[in-house]
Amino acid sequence: MAFVGQKLIKQIQTTGLKATIAQRLDDGFTRFTAGLSWNDVRGILRGDPPPKPNPRVKPHTEGFWFHIRPSFYHEAVTTLYPTFRLGFLSAVFFMFEIITGIFLMIFYTPSPTYAYQNMIDIMTNVPFGKFMRDLHRLGAEAMVIVVTLHMVRTFVTASYKKPRQFTWFTGVVLLVVTLFLSFSGYLLPWDQLAFWAVTIGTSMADAVPLIGPELNLLLRGAPDIGAGGLLRFYLLHVVLLPIIGIIFVAVHYYKVVRFGISLPPEMDPVAGEDNARKVPPEKRVPFLPDILTNELMYMAVAFAVMAVSVVTWYQGAPLEHHADPMVTPNHTVAPWYFYWLQGLLKIPHMIPLLPTPIAVEVDRFFANVLGLTPKVFWGVIVGPLMIGLLFVIPYIDPNPSRLYSKRKIMLSLGALFAAAIVYLSLAGIPTGVPVTGFGYVGGDPASEVGQEFIPDEGVGPVRRLAYKHYVVGEHKVSAEPNTGSSEFDKLIRAIHASMERRKANPDPLGQKLSPEASAVVEVKQVQDNLRYVAIKIDYTDASGRNTRFVKETYLHELSGYAGGH
Amino acid sequence: MSIIKKIITFRPSFTLRILTGLISVLIMLSVCTVVAISDQSGALNRRATNFNARSVEVGAKVYSLQCARCHGLNGEGIEGLGPSLAAESFVGRRKLVIGTDGLATYQTEAPSKRLQQIGWTESLENYIIAVTQAGIPIRSSNVWEVNHPAFLEDFGGPLRRDQIRDVTAFIVNWSLNPLSDDQAILPPAPGEGQAPRPTPVPLTEAQEAGKQVYLQAGCTACHAIRGVGTQGALGPSLNRIYTVAQERIADEKYKQAAQAAGQPVATTPEEYIRQSILYPNAYVVPQCPQGACVAGLMPQNYAQTIKPEDLDKLVDYLSALR
Ligand code: HEC
Ligand code: HEC
Ligand code: HEM
Repeated sequence: MAFVGQKLIKQIQTTGLKATIAQRLDDGFTRFTAGLSWNDVRGILRGDPPPKPNPRVKPHTEGFWFHIRPSFYHEAVTTLYPTFRLGFLSAVFFMFEIITGIFLMIFYTPSPTYAYQNMIDIMTNVPFGKFMRDLHRLGAEAMVIVVTLHMVRTFVTASYKKPRQFTWFTGVVLLVVTLFLSFSGYLLPWDQLAFWAVTIGTSMADAVPLIGPELNLLLRGAPDIGAGGLLRFYLLHVVLLPIIGIIFVAVHYYKVVRFGISLPPEMDPVAGEDNARKVPPEKRVPFLPDILTNELMYMAVAFAVMAVSVVTWYQGAPLEHHADPMVTPNHTVAPWYFYWLQGLLKIPHMIPLLPTPIAVEVDRFFANVLGLTPKVFWGVIVGPLMIGLLFVIPYIDPNPSRLYSKRKIMLSLGALFAAAIVYLSLAGIPTGVPVTGFGYVGGDPASEVGQEFIPDEGVGPVRRLAYKHYVVGEHKVSAEPNTGSSEFDKLIRAIHASMERRKANPDPLGQKLSPEASAVVEVKQVQDNLRYVAIKIDYTDASGRNTRFVKETYLHELSGYAGGH
Repeated sequence: MSIIKKIITFRPSFTLRILTGLISVLIMLSVCTVVAISDQSGALNRRATNFNARSVEVGAKVYSLQCARCHGLNGEGIEGLGPSLAAESFVGRRKLVIGTDGLATYQTEAPSKRLQQIGWTESLENYIIAVTQAGIPIRSSNVWEVNHPAFLEDFGGPLRRDQIRDVTAFIVNWSLNPLSDDQAILPPAPGEGQAPRPTPVPLTEAQEAGKQVYLQAGCTACHAIRGVGTQGALGPSLNRIYTVAQERIADEKYKQAAQAAGQPVATTPEEYIRQSILYPNAYVVPQCPQGACVAGLMPQNYAQTIKPEDLDKLVDYLSALR
């Protein structure tokens, strides 16, 4: 009569209890590792050479997790060059963002009523809250950098060429996913920075010909960003984009296993011939244990670098004033990885700077010949075309060779593309490109002084100076102030210097501060621990009128902007 | 060159990999420990204190934009428009104490008398939030010319919840050094609120006509007269302008200003009122509801736009407000 434990009892009878338990445990262990016994794993950890037949390939054929990893790499790709581990690090950061993101999700409500307060609560009421938020933000920016560098390296080493065209294609999808993940996450804190950057970003959707308004409505859930838009961005950020990302990482990884990591170009000397899959046995570096430990090491180092960064030099994810659709802060900027797009959008604004006949021609070209507004042309057509160009690179590059010496044209074009991105990015920031001044968007020079010292969002020199240094009263701005507080004097001297600079040197738009302009700094005690600080500038504006410009703020003794949380 | 080559062809040994990995994990764990200890020993509370202080900063701005026109720039209250919010009897008296845990909290030294008077058992903060969000639909007393506006967006107002929280933080912060009650406009106690106002002197026909001039010439955009038209708050209230004018002409500062401006020095309240309308800059009133009065804000051309006979009636009317 057979019963469930019959075999077990038989085994105990023949080999004894201890040996049976050991053997049964090892069985379970082997099932768990998809083919490796405890002794095999110990051998791996000790660095023993693999026994024959090699059990270390079994997890790759039997197990789920390892089947999308190859069982060995070519020795030539296990050094830092050619991969620099950037593809793997992209995957590490993707994972890192998922982990830290899930932590933040627990404390976050995607609603304009709660989102901002939730962020404050995360930082003031949740142990590890600020740490996790900073990790998530810094990790997102690191991921953009790492993914971009990974693309640059596959371009430079010509790894996108046959047979890896589609690997590259899925890679560009992942680049787009990465950018949109960062962008959609940017809105979630619901502060002024987030709100206006995303308002400007999504206004591009509105400019799309024909379907613009519908697209805008789909994205924002209403004509303007509000509760609907926040919820949609949240769902994009935590559901749709991660799913697309995971699917495409899987496809991308599968392709990498399928074709092998491309060898350094000099090892593929014959144009069109790929040697990645021809690995002589003595050149094989087994995945277990070499590649796996290598990857675990990189992962641990990456995590440690992030953790140390957050508690040392990283100044923390920003949280500005609560989003306010009625107040547009001066100099709103997109996140830095979209500066290039913002620079592109500024090209039409620069038309007035061109000599008039040329400007008229350019205008006519857009309006009459193309029937497009410049915003549509640069923002909706050229911008996406630049990404589109990335998608098709492997399909339009006619040169089959991977050798650097035979790719001079393509490498130069790549460098040109990179230079264009850098130039446009500089143009995208309010101060514009150094020297040429292209992209400068400053207003009237007096208001620029105000913005420099009391920026609408962000800290700025006035808020950075601690409450206690201010002296109540009206203080004339001069080179030798004497307020009785040396720190306050320093601030006033800086304001004076900034005004003198703007009197002497015109900004890129040719505006100067009028020579007789003078200013006072007014400090009033509003409450016991609250002061009002205003910079008041009297000057002659562009139309020749005497004008007073006032920029004001309130400072609380305990607001902590001056550092030292 | 060779050093670059060395770096890019570097392949760490098995031991080095395991070691680097372990050390990194240890570093990560120690950072986590440091964060845990610092969060538990006050870092969270210090940040909370910072954010509460920033809320007061934002609230100060909201107050000056939305509330000062009725409650006064310094929360002293404005007759007819709104009670003091900085008075000790309203906010009470408190101290801000930074605890050993890094959290700054208020300690009550004297509670709000007003809340006891009206029987509000919730906190002062919640009272301010409740009134500001929803307004006071029924006027509690005829000393007020206006109903309290509802400020929350949901009720058609201009403010979001977070702004109302901020302005509340600002008002409560007055409790550190509240206005003494005799410097403030206080609301009437419940029950006393409906006491009839002193019957106004009945207006003559000419004065009634002057009131129409007052309404039609647009004075209400800036001035307030209790019960008459819009209650403007850019210029001083004219509720008791005759009495005010009497005080002005007795004031040395007025005489000097008028002489400096090359205007005759008024000797009767009527003359002063007439001069104020025709030559507003002869004397610039120091205090307006939203801070210092702005010279040149009041139109300078009433001599041209108001007919002389209408002007007489207007002055006659204003002189009845004592
Ligand atoms: C149009 C004038 C007006 C404005 C603007 C106004 N208030 Fe008032 N407020 C009043 C009046 C009138 C009262 C007394 C109402 C009553 O008791 O019926 C009052 C009462 C209050 C009270 C209750 C005071 C007490 O002693 O019970 C609070 C709190 C208050 N206001 C807060 C605010 C805040 C905060 C703002 C700005 C966001 C504001 N108010 C703006 C007119 C105004
Ligand atoms: C644009 C706003 C504005 C308008 C409109 C306006 N005023 Fe004035 N008024 C002011 C200001 C501000 C002051 C205080 C500064 C000053 O004295 O010039 C003032 C002062 C006065 C004073 C002196 C008050 C005092 O306490 O001494 C009187 C009287 C006066 N106005 C009457 C009128 C009359 C009557 C009208 C309509 C014909 C009128 N104002 C229209 C803004 C205005
Ligand atoms: C989340 C984003 C990405 C992840 C996780 C990822 C992951 C990887 C990994 C692990 C490899 C193996 C080789 C290596 O480590 O370099 C790889 C190879 C490759 N990736 Fe990516 N990648 C990402 C984005 C991209 C992008 C943006 C591109 C280019 C547009 C790209 C193009 C390629 C190509 C062409 C290869 C083949 C390289 C070779 O065989 O040498 N990938 N990717």
